[in-house]
Amino acid sequence: MTDWIRLLIDIIFWPPLFQLVIAPGLVAALLVVIFIIWFERKTAARVQMRIGPYHISPRLGGFLQLFADLTRYAFQEIIIPTAVDKPIFIGAPLTALVLSLLPVVSMPYTSTPYYYPLPMDYSLLLTVALSTISPIFIVAAGWASNNKFAVIGSLRESFVITAYELLIVITALSGGVAALSYNLVDIVNAQTPFYKWMIFTNPIAALTMFAAILMATSGFPFEIPEAENEIVAGAFTEYSGLMYGINMGSAYIKRFVYSLLFTLVFLGGWLPYKPGIHLIDGYIIPLVVVLVKATIVMAIISFLRAVYGRFRIDQALDGAWRIFIPLALIGFGLALLEAYMGVYA
Amino acid sequence: MPGKVVEKQTPKPRFINAITGNLGAILVGLKYFANPNRFTLKYPYEYIELRNTYRGFIVLDMKKCIGCMSCARICPASAMKMVKVTVQEGKKPKPYPVINYNRCIFCGMCVDVCPTEALAHLPVHDVVYLSMDEMDLDLERFQQKVESPSVKEGVPVKYVFDPEKGLVKVPASEGGES
Repeated sequence: MTDWIRLLIDIIFWPPLFQLVIAPGLVAALLVVIFIIWFERKTAARVQMRIGPYHISPRLGGFLQLFADLTRYAFQEIIIPTAVDKPIFIGAPLTALVLSLLPVVSMPYTSTPYYYPLPMDYSLLLTVALSTISPIFIVAAGWASNNKFAVIGSLRESFVITAYELLIVITALSGGVAALSYNLVDIVNAQTPFYKWMIFTNPIAALTMFAAILMATSGFPFEIPEAENEIVAGAFTEYSGLMYGINMGSAYIKRFVYSLLFTLVFLGGWLPYKPGIHLIDGYIIPLVVVLVKATIVMAIISFLRAVYGRFRIDQALDGAWRIFIPLALIGFGLALLEAYMGVYA
Repeated sequence: MPGKVVEKQTPKPRFINAITGNLGAILVGLKYFANPNRFTLKYPYEYIELRNTYRGFIVLDMKKCIGCMSCARICPASAMKMVKVTVQEGKKPKPYPVINYNRCIFCGMCVDVCPTEALAHLPVHDVVYLSMDEMDLDLERFQQKVESPSVKEGVPVKYVFDPEKGLVKVPASEGGES
């Protein structure tokens, strides 16, 4: 009997499966995303002198509103226009959702080798590579929709993604350069004392990556690809019901994945906690630490929604190519300098 | 005297200005996040007390009405209509106004023109009718004073100006000029 339970635990907590499906994959990501959407609406309301979602559950601050919205999306009719390219129209958002979730499997959440989902030697490169695949399916969804607004939206998406994912790649790799390793476990473990977190030793790269996450995942003030008052809903104009919910959710999940990467590279991952070797102290607790840090990063991103207005597409691209890419290169140079001086040696 | 033509000077975009501007915006956001000033009116749990001169729903005092038809004539939306009613046995039927709220634009001309002040406004603006027929009032219902649902259930509030926070929502019983 005990063997049977042990086997079940081994199967559930088999890292590749556990990380993709439960935490920080699908289930935890959905919970975090629902919390973040509620937090975003409440924060924006607080700053803008409103109340926000309230009426459905006044004692919880309207938290159940999100579940009500989810239920509504789930039961709404999915309308597929006759003029669309059907297989791509249906397949592209689903693929984008799965692919935007995939990088969580290539990231470690503990320093105990038994709980690595994959061999970790090139995990930083793998994570960055996997995270850059999904936008092409959003572009495909917009193209398959056979709609002017959708095409303009996907065009904008491709512009923004080209500029800002380059930034994310450069800044994330600068973390690897500073720690002299593409192994995310080494990068995290190198940041052992508190003041050696890379957000303190390389603030320029951290700031640039933060801004790039904000722009690349089209968070509210910067949702240039789906600017509501300009091009209806951008690439997702023709979608309705659950398909629209999936599209919106995949943007948030992408932001969550980037926040995890930001946490690992710049915020010291599971540090200051030192993982043990057992399931609870070696896998669950460091995972929770990483999740909490990533949620805080997402909450800061959500707070900025209330502060900023929307940029035009030309302003966003101008900012990327003229200001942020030089900044990212300066950050990369700083990382090279740190590697030369042996800060993380 | 014609206006003076002045060339508007736009400040040159400078990197330091971008940094201070962003930081200032974030600080203002944080200030409101820490100390929010929410003045959303939670209707119908709260309502703003309306003054007696408010141009709301109209009520008829049948005893004062002399049946001059001025209200029906002046009504720009043809909402007022006269009906002939026999008030006393053996006398000629007399015209009285009735109103159709489907058409009424609440301009208040009928109240202004009434020579005997038989028509009056009520400080009520939020009455719900279930059908369009119901909004076409007859003489009996035109004399009843309608009640606001928010006044029945809610608490009165008012907005006062606070020198530090701007507009603030306070209970109507508290002092201060709105």
